[in-house]
Amino acid sequence: MTPLRANAYRTVVVGAGIVGLFTAVRLARAGAGPILVVDRGFLSSGGSGRNGGGVRQQWETRSTIRLAREAVSDWRRFGIEFGYNIWFRQGGYLFLAENETELGRLRRVHEIVRSEGLPSEVLTPEEVARRVDGIAPGSTVGGVYLRSDGTLYPFPAVWGVYETARSLGVEVALGVDALGVVARDGRVEGVVTSEGTVRASSVVNAAGGWSSEFSQRAGLSTPNVASRHEILATEPMKPFLVPMVVRTSDGLYFSQTMRGELVGGLTVPHAPGTARGVPSSPRFLTGMARAMVGLIPRLARLNVLRAWTGYYDDTPDGLPVIGEDPRLAGFVHANGFGGHGFMLAPAATRRVAAAVLGEKVDLDPEEFSPARFLHGTAAPAVERLQLG
Amino acid sequence: MAARSMADPVTRRFRFRGRARTASSGDTLLAALAEQELPNVVRSVRCHRPRGPFCGLGHCTGCLVRVNGRPNVRACRHVVEEGDRVETENAWPSPRWDVLGAIDVVFPRGLDTLRGFRRPAWATRAFQRVGRRLAGYGAVPDPIPDGAPSAIAHRWDTDVVIVGAGTSGRAAAEALVRRGIRPLVIDRALEVIDIPGSDLAPRTTVTFLPPPRPTAPRPFVLLGFEEPDRGVSIRAKTVVLATGGYDGSLLFEGGDRPGVMAADLLTRMAPRGGRLPIRRAVVVGGGRRAREALDLIGPSVTAVVAPGEISPDVVRRASELSIPLYPRSLVVRAVGRSRVRSLDLRTRGQDTRFSLACDTVVLAHRRLPNAQLLFQADARMVWRPDPGSYFPVVDATGGTTVPGLYVAGTVAGFAADERGTSGERAASSAAGVRAETTPTAPGAVDVSADLGEYYRELLKEPRTGKWIVCPCEDVLLEDLEDASKAGFRGIEVMKRYTGVGTGLCQGRYCLPDALLLLAHLEGRPAPEVGYIRQRPPLVPTPLSALAVVHEEFADNGVT
Repeated sequence: MTPLRANAYRTVVVGAGIVGLFTAVRLARAGAGPILVVDRGFLSSGGSGRNGGGVRQQWETRSTIRLAREAVSDWRRFGIEFGYNIWFRQGGYLFLAENETELGRLRRVHEIVRSEGLPSEVLTPEEVARRVDGIAPGSTVGGVYLRSDGTLYPFPAVWGVYETARSLGVEVALGVDALGVVARDGRVEGVVTSEGTVRASSVVNAAGGWSSEFSQRAGLSTPNVASRHEILATEPMKPFLVPMVVRTSDGLYFSQTMRGELVGGLTVPHAPGTARGVPSSPRFLTGMARAMVGLIPRLARLNVLRAWTGYYDDTPDGLPVIGEDPRLAGFVHANGFGGHGFMLAPAATRRVAAAVLGEKVDLDPEEFSPARFLHGTAAPAVERLQLG
Repeated sequence: MAARSMADPVTRRFRFRGRARTASSGDTLLAALAEQELPNVVRSVRCHRPRGPFCGLGHCTGCLVRVNGRPNVRACRHVVEEGDRVETENAWPSPRWDVLGAIDVVFPRGLDTLRGFRRPAWATRAFQRVGRRLAGYGAVPDPIPDGAPSAIAHRWDTDVVIVGAGTSGRAAAEALVRRGIRPLVIDRALEVIDIPGSDLAPRTTVTFLPPPRPTAPRPFVLLGFEEPDRGVSIRAKTVVLATGGYDGSLLFEGGDRPGVMAADLLTRMAPRGGRLPIRRAVVVGGGRRAREALDLIGPSVTAVVAPGEISPDVVRRASELSIPLYPRSLVVRAVGRSRVRSLDLRTRGQDTRFSLACDTVVLAHRRLPNAQLLFQADARMVWRPDPGSYFPVVDATGGTTVPGLYVAGTVAGFAADERGTSGERAASSAAGVRAETTPTAPGAVDVSADLGEYYRELLKEPRTGKWIVCPCEDVLLEDLEDASKAGFRGIEVMKRYTGVGTGLCQGRYCLPDALLLLAHLEGRPAPEVGYIRQRPPLVPTPLSALAVVHEEFADNGVT
């Protein structure tokens, strides 16, 4: 651990996940250094190292669709720009409906996505079966599909932004806990860390599943709630499945990674925020197995290799929180991504950096603004397609 | 052969790559295939290097085959049945002559999937298509034919479960039976000799799920399966772990070549009459396991080589068999492609290099504890530099720091002659009775050298080919070195950066070496490099076996 410079930061980013590191890169490129990123864990210990690598543009809210669309073009350039191959494979996202009600909901998503200029398709059960080899007959009434959605390998993305950030002069301090914020006259003046207090004129909360905890430490209550989600990976296989498959009824999702494993999860109700540190539950492992075999019976004799757990940072309206907190100048939120922070990071962090720099944020600022939770009024938009 | 099989009702006929073969009744597929030559049934992922059986325990990737449309069956775990169709995996046209084996030659540093294949951007799709083809061992399972039995669940509810039916596990079971308690004894072995008064569950592997928590009341919940497909769930008030140990791997150039094997492979093959075609073997190790290897294949052994000293017991046995001894030696390189031909060595601290002709290298130098369940249970563990592994903190009753969880035998660090007494002690404590035997602290485990120092010396050797740390994923020593140079530190990050420990064996074979290597590369003690706790399920488990026990966990509030 190199000692932190006590006096010199313009911005301290809390969280060295994909959102925090990307934010640091954006700020450093804008010449807004010096920048310090702190994280109490190791690199990729949080959600950035625990997600399924999905990248999709099919959403209910236009603001999210636009953000995701921009992110897709960023991810396509990532390898050249950041020096690591993330194997971003655009095999599409296929949402499955088990009944007409769900299909109706997916059709509405399809209409919104199409009106944003993306060629989403509605598929019949026969067309679904052509894309999902061995799907149980009668298990779906159809689905919607967008070919340019895809999956990537999250780890090299973290390595790429980490190395780029460091090459731009960003200091990344791992194993350092952010304990609080020093504020005077409603303005951020510094950050208290486990390695001492550092001065900074702004702080970015990119702590993912721990964001509300850090906001709390800064004296700010937020409605963000950490929810536990589990994933399993099977033994690797030869190519079998092209798209990411998502079932709307139970949140079952899985895709085949470049390494050949089927990787996916299932929405299992857990009490929010509980059982931190518990690696896996029998309820998920057995339930996920049953759901996969139910959908594709030939997978019965496929082996599960491992399962693990991570945390979503959920918000009441399913939309992320991006922007300066109206209660504390210089405290900028980059959280509340509800399990979709990785895929949206390259685009979302442009807005985060703009908020830090006090520049105008061009994309639906009020929908992502932290202010929306402070007025007690209903949010203008709600994103409920929190699956996969 | 064909004539014999027709005359003999106890033989099993099966087809291997389309050709008719036979096996004796009860033989594993590996034993049947190994009758004439060491089977080379699979190529590695990424580099397509030839691989042979290594562990004999169902963990490594050296004997993966497709049996009756099911991928990644471990030939060492499959008992041949009449009419089995066996195909090879990840090789074309055959594992012996695999076209993609060219990758190994063309890319001496392996495939750089981290930074490579990014340019030109227009070739992205082509890279991905090829990359996907290279990944994975087997193809998706065949659809299950109609009428095939579906997986069934088996539930046990018991006072005491003993995991492991080796010396200490059996001693524990017998001690409990004497006290009028009927324990459940589970073991991964294909067959377990009966323990009167106990329930036995062979071919069964379990994991703590959910993990026991200090605050949660017992019983312990264990979830697992009985091979091949039966889901198993166990509730037990008390658990005795007697999971034993396994023979660790050793890093050297070509250490992944067919013919290099853990001593476990020999001991596992022996009870079923399995003979491996071994003509000239070098045994690596100078302790108890080396001695056991000599007992099994002594006449075929041409040399005993040890990283450190050789015990008097091994010296005596070797001299009886006129086998030369090479203590304090570095194993530098195995030469050979589809089978080892010779082994290059150097005497430690000297410039003397020499080469031994051999077709087999038996690794018997390092007995490691099967401690996965202890890590899962969050028992407190301590690092022991020899053999370079973690062992549980054990009190005088055989108890761990987890209430109700006892340990016995090798997994607890007890020496071979303490296995029985440690089992009895754990059983007495599990039965709630004060131990009758004198408590002893865990003694010396079987190890013949400080491997940390050994690797420090070995890494100075010149390299002419691939040094594979993780054979499951073809991770090279250079991959660890490059990552370390780039500033990535600690085993957790190294796992995600290089893939070390993410393969089918979940790091059983590569992590113990990786910890020592990283300690050297990062210039800090091994315990500071960290540890990776194996993730559930601890061994690859079929989806069907998990699905079938779901009812039990669906709505009981267990999260």
